[in-house]
Amino acid sequence: MSADGNPTKSPLSRAAMIAERQRRSPLWRVIHLLGSLKLALVLLGTIAIAIATATFTEAHFDSGVARAWIYKAPWFIAWLAVLCINLFAVTLTRLPWQRKHTGFIITHYGIILLLIGAVIGSRLGFEGNVTLRTDGQPQRKIVTDRSCIQVESPSDSYLYLMPLETRFLHTSVASPKYLPVPGTSLRIGIEAVSEHLSPQPHLAPASGKAGGTGVLLDFSSGMMKQTLHVGLSTGEGSPGTYDFFGRAALTMASNAAALPTHDPNNKKPWLDLIPASDGKSLEYRLGRGASVTSSGNLHEEDLLPLGWADWRLHVSQIAKNSAVVTTPAPDESGAENGVPGFRAFLSNPEGEKSTPLWVASGGVVPLVLGKEMVRIGYGLELRPIPFSIALVDFEVPRDEGTETPSDFQATVRFKNTKTGAEKEGLIRMNHPASYPGGLLANMTGFNYKFSQAEWNPRDLKETTLQVLYDPGWLPKWIGSLAICVGIATMFYIRPRE
Amino acid sequence: MKPSSQIPLLVALLSLNLIPIATALAQVSPKSLESLVIQEGGRKKPYLVFTEETLRSLSGKTALNMDGQKQDAMTVITGFWMSPDDSWKAKQLILVSNLPLRKHLSLEPARKLYSWNELTSNDALSKEITATAEIRRRDPRAKLVGLQKEASDVGMRMGLFESLLKGDDFKIIAPLSGSDWLTTAQLDPTEGKDIIDSVHSMRSAWTHLDPSRFDEAATSLLGLQKQVGGLPSDWKISLEVVYQKAHPFRWAWILYAAAGIVLLLSRNSWERRGYQLAWVLAGSGFLIQAAGLLSRVLIAGRPPVTNMYESVIWVAFGTILFALIFETIYRAGSFLLGAVPVAVASLILADSQPVILDHSIHPLTPVLRDNFWLSTHVLSITLSYAAFALSLGVAHVALAQIIAGRKPTAILYTYLYKTLQVGVLLLTTGTILGGVWANYSWGRFWDWDPKETWALTALLGYLFLLHGRISGLWGGFGLAVGSVIAFMSVLMAWYGVNFVLGAGLHSYGFGTGGFPLVATFVGCELLFVAIAFLKKQRLGSA
Repeated sequence: MSADGNPTKSPLSRAAMIAERQRRSPLWRVIHLLGSLKLALVLLGTIAIAIATATFTEAHFDSGVARAWIYKAPWFIAWLAVLCINLFAVTLTRLPWQRKHTGFIITHYGIILLLIGAVIGSRLGFEGNVTLRTDGQPQRKIVTDRSCIQVESPSDSYLYLMPLETRFLHTSVASPKYLPVPGTSLRIGIEAVSEHLSPQPHLAPASGKAGGTGVLLDFSSGMMKQTLHVGLSTGEGSPGTYDFFGRAALTMASNAAALPTHDPNNKKPWLDLIPASDGKSLEYRLGRGASVTSSGNLHEEDLLPLGWADWRLHVSQIAKNSAVVTTPAPDESGAENGVPGFRAFLSNPEGEKSTPLWVASGGVVPLVLGKEMVRIGYGLELRPIPFSIALVDFEVPRDEGTETPSDFQATVRFKNTKTGAEKEGLIRMNHPASYPGGLLANMTGFNYKFSQAEWNPRDLKETTLQVLYDPGWLPKWIGSLAICVGIATMFYIRPRE
Repeated sequence: MKPSSQIPLLVALLSLNLIPIATALAQVSPKSLESLVIQEGGRKKPYLVFTEETLRSLSGKTALNMDGQKQDAMTVITGFWMSPDDSWKAKQLILVSNLPLRKHLSLEPARKLYSWNELTSNDALSKEITATAEIRRRDPRAKLVGLQKEASDVGMRMGLFESLLKGDDFKIIAPLSGSDWLTTAQLDPTEGKDIIDSVHSMRSAWTHLDPSRFDEAATSLLGLQKQVGGLPSDWKISLEVVYQKAHPFRWAWILYAAAGIVLLLSRNSWERRGYQLAWVLAGSGFLIQAAGLLSRVLIAGRPPVTNMYESVIWVAFGTILFALIFETIYRAGSFLLGAVPVAVASLILADSQPVILDHSIHPLTPVLRDNFWLSTHVLSITLSYAAFALSLGVAHVALAQIIAGRKPTAILYTYLYKTLQVGVLLLTTGTILGGVWANYSWGRFWDWDPKETWALTALLGYLFLLHGRISGLWGGFGLAVGSVIAFMSVLMAWYGVNFVLGAGLHSYGFGTGGFPLVATFVGCELLFVAIAFLKKQRLGSA
């Protein structure tokens, strides 16, 4: 780019030389093609359109979709690589460089350096967070933003980590996605995924004291657009009561004498249930305070309006000798809550399969096939760090006369795991603490940087810090500086002719 | 009839209980209270500012027509303080700005202000407010949209009305310990006797319509407040009072507009003298705007770019700044001619849309409390918007010439290129500085946050424009068309991310409203470009 805004004009001899080398050498022709302005325009235009589209995708869906489709998609990364090639090739086309090319070269190499820094950062560095409590233990692990499946191999009892993002996994019962179990010939098959797994009760046969009469109840409200599944059993170890949002109480007992007496001053509504001896029906009493508002019998598939707003009760199952078991399952109530996860089974080379089970994020599930058992877990990857970090003090000063935070101040103590050397750090907004810290570590990014990320207004003993380890920081930093200096040189510093 | 001659009549009516006390407003001027210090919204400010901000929050205006008389904010808000009786509940004070909400609530489509009684008896409104409260209870960070957001805003205004009537907002006395100031109701009756007494006599003077006794009591209250202490320095309070009254940005746009008109007229006849006059007018406007911005900096203690209102003012300022710098170098006239419409439109917008663009000075969210980063990253980004706004203006001059059937000179396109260069350098620097700041405050350099992404999109757009020009794919006309179209990406980065997308980490700048206005602007710009394009084709073929 020349300073006066007109297309660069070189002396005739130079233009002729450049034309000549292209005519003679296929390599130069390729370089000029790769470094062409037309390619640059295509790259600039497509990248701008792609990232602009991504922001709308993010606003309509969420950032995960924008990341998977655009920012972190292989085609986009490849496109940025082509951009680097274009930027590099265009500097070659100007060879032999003259003084007027200084700004141009610095700028274009600055962008390349910045992108190289970004690649180094994403390959060798990581981002994560750590939640600390003033009354908690020092932490030695950082929670990253990468989801992983954790497999405990039966051959060596080691835990193996494999990245797995369920959200964008295309899988079905007909064509499951298989993962090997290291050290064995077994495979884990993933046949379904869900973003909304929540613990759902169901009835399982049980004998002895654990086995009582169990019921599965569905509470639904059209107004709240919500459905709740509740399991109760008279067996030992199963829940016999349920707290309905703190607004009502549910109790099931084997006989009327075992039910609680209702306080006439407590105006909270309640529902008492007593199973009949045949194990096929329930006697119910609905009331408020000490008075009973309605009573009767319920069978499977019966519906009962409760008179609590528009909540209705549906009896989905009554079974004798059963206990209430809770396992993760997709939440079909319509409320978008719960955690992500998948349904997996174990298979062997003979083609035998175990019973598929849901594995929710944060949970561990044993898959059993014959004599083999493989425990698998799912969740965000934990990264060990070579030191521990503890929260010594956390303070939230407020704006005068209000409850609005004016800053967040976390005092932390780092302790080197090997040497035991300790160091304190203060983390304030815009003022991170780092370990090992110091000028060199901060400049190069071979450094763990802790910035304030989240706080819990209801519990001031807790804070969450964002952790960054970015070995790509130096090239990013130099690249950034080069871009600014380069553009300024290109636009405003004229070489002496 | 003079106000003084009305007083006996009013007293007579009052004593007969024929009119409610609150209608006695405006007979006593609360002017003597204007520099009373009050603590509100996390800072200490002059009473004058408090009343204007409060009435603007409540009614969307700083003056109201009540009982056939125009009352300023000081009078209305002081009325709440001095005679908090139930007659206020019948007054049409509370803003319901959103038309779809008014329709939903079966309110009059054409009326924006409603009384407390009207709103509390509206079942549909209480239903909406209960629903939003339920959403907030479940998730305090839930983002409200559409009617729910509007209903929640009305609910907040009703809350403000209630606390005004209860007197909870009149916190005028510094506490012995802690930082929460006290209202007179919270004072110890023996220790705070003098203060309580002066407020009592102010009340009695207010209701008995005795201006001199009111002023006397108000002066005594101001003196007592000084004795208690804990106040900001006098010059700061006085400066804020002057700033609040002076409306420097209004004067600035008037002068800019005058400069623009002179420039337009001077094109043919009294050229040099006209140009000089335009310089003087624009220069004076610029100095007044600079003084206004400087006052804001001194009052708030930070660069004036922390919300949408401030950034609109700042971009207008930057556009004129760059235009004047270029005019100093090139004496072309076209820079100023291009800058004036942009600056005038921005300043009028900032002045006339107080509900969308909040004028008040609030304490900042913790992450923004860093004057180094505010004055490097945010200033360079907003100055790049200013440079691009100038290029938009200069492009308009070129395209307008084409539409008028004249061929713009080559030098005009060179000027345009120069304004684009300034913008590109500043936007690049600002975006990178943003990355460095994000690395410190959020713990990462770049994460495709929508604000970051749109800054980059705008930058890529302008680079596309400049590279296309270098490669000869388009000439000066293409550069002018591109400058207008690329500015839409600046609008998206500046306004769209905060007000349309409403996603990402730059949430402290989020707001609502103004979409029809911006959409109309974009539509007009595209139409303008299309007309210029057609005209250019006709000129080319002719």
